[in-house]
Amino acid sequence: MATLPQLIEEDIRHLDKTLRDFIAKADAMVALIIDKGGFLITHAGDAGDFDLTTIGALASGAFMANQTIAGLVNEPNFNSIYQQGEKTSVLAANVDENCILIVIFKAQTGVGVVKYFIPTAVKRIAKQMVAAHKRNPDGGLDLSVMNLADTEGVFRKKEA
Amino acid sequence: MAIINQATKELQVKIVYYGPAMGGKTTNLVQVHDHVQTTAGNKGKLVSLATSSDRTLFFDFLPIEAMTIKGFKTKFQLYTVPGQVIYNTTRQLVLRGVDGIVFVADSQYEKMQENVESFQNLMDNLSSLKQNFAEIPYVLQYNKRDLPNAAPVEYLDFLLNNRDTQVPSFSATAHKCEGVFESLNMITRLLLQKFVNQSVPQYA
Repeated sequence: MATLPQLIEEDIRHLDKTLRDFIAKADAMVALIIDKGGFLITHAGDAGDFDLTTIGALASGAFMANQTIAGLVNEPNFNSIYQQGEKTSVLAANVDENCILIVIFKAQTGVGVVKYFIPTAVKRIAKQMVAAHKRNPDGGLDLSVMNLADTEGVFRKKEA
Repeated sequence: MAIINQATKELQVKIVYYGPAMGGKTTNLVQVHDHVQTTAGNKGKLVSLATSSDRTLFFDFLPIEAMTIKGFKTKFQLYTVPGQVIYNTTRQLVLRGVDGIVFVADSQYEKMQENVESFQNLMDNLSSLKQNFAEIPYVLQYNKRDLPNAAPVEYLDFLLNNRDTQVPSFSATAHKCEGVFESLNMITRLLLQKFVNQSVPQYA
């Protein structure tokens, strides 16, 4: 299975800038880049009391489920899902094989403006991912520097 | 696959609880959620996408931030899959990007066929995702040991843990939180050790 490239600080800085630019233009509240496995990669905007970790996991599941439905009805052109709310709406757009861009915006903003600006943001994010991959195609962190010999206590049960 | 974010110094891993319907997967997550020792704010909400009768419909999800290892915050995302046979597509979706698996078997004699079928289904689904089952760490949890019709552990081992390489297995009574943390800590150990042993990590 294809996996995310190694992202370094420079990548995250570029991605964050892309998200900030997009939020300003589209008048969105928060934008998140998530991995299709459900991991939150980075985000920008005012998250307020939103639980972005959980939103990322659920949005990934919802997006992948809809993509599967699209496949079942022979629809090859599936790029986004839109949840329209009374106060807050959510749009999830495919970035590449590994990532999804999630946008949370006020319902009064209207999805049109978000949809208008999102292709540019998606292209910039995808381009950064390609650049990261090219920089180090087999890259990763050397975890051997970590001391993982004792993991017994990673999860401890509370005393009764 | 896990994400290591060097920019934010985070290690994120995904553990999936798999097994037959009504075997105790959701109970495992509920017990972890209720009993895990964490500093304030490091334990997320347990999200259950379930039917009105509390059967898992899509998945249960519990994010936990555990200890910091060499400056890296380790974030664990625990998922369950729906056990019912009809939800196989959903199980495939949840398995995407899995790092480690806890297979929760039901110890009752009459559930043996379902255990075996679910295990086979796990291997089939990983194969369909082009993931090599042999490369994904997993542990077996024999749940419901407190029931009178529980089969001997040796029998469960014979059915589910009878490969060239035996994996760790745990007797559990999940609703009493027995065997829950033992299983979770062992899968954590296995998957972190796997990362350490990889000369070239597959992700970042």
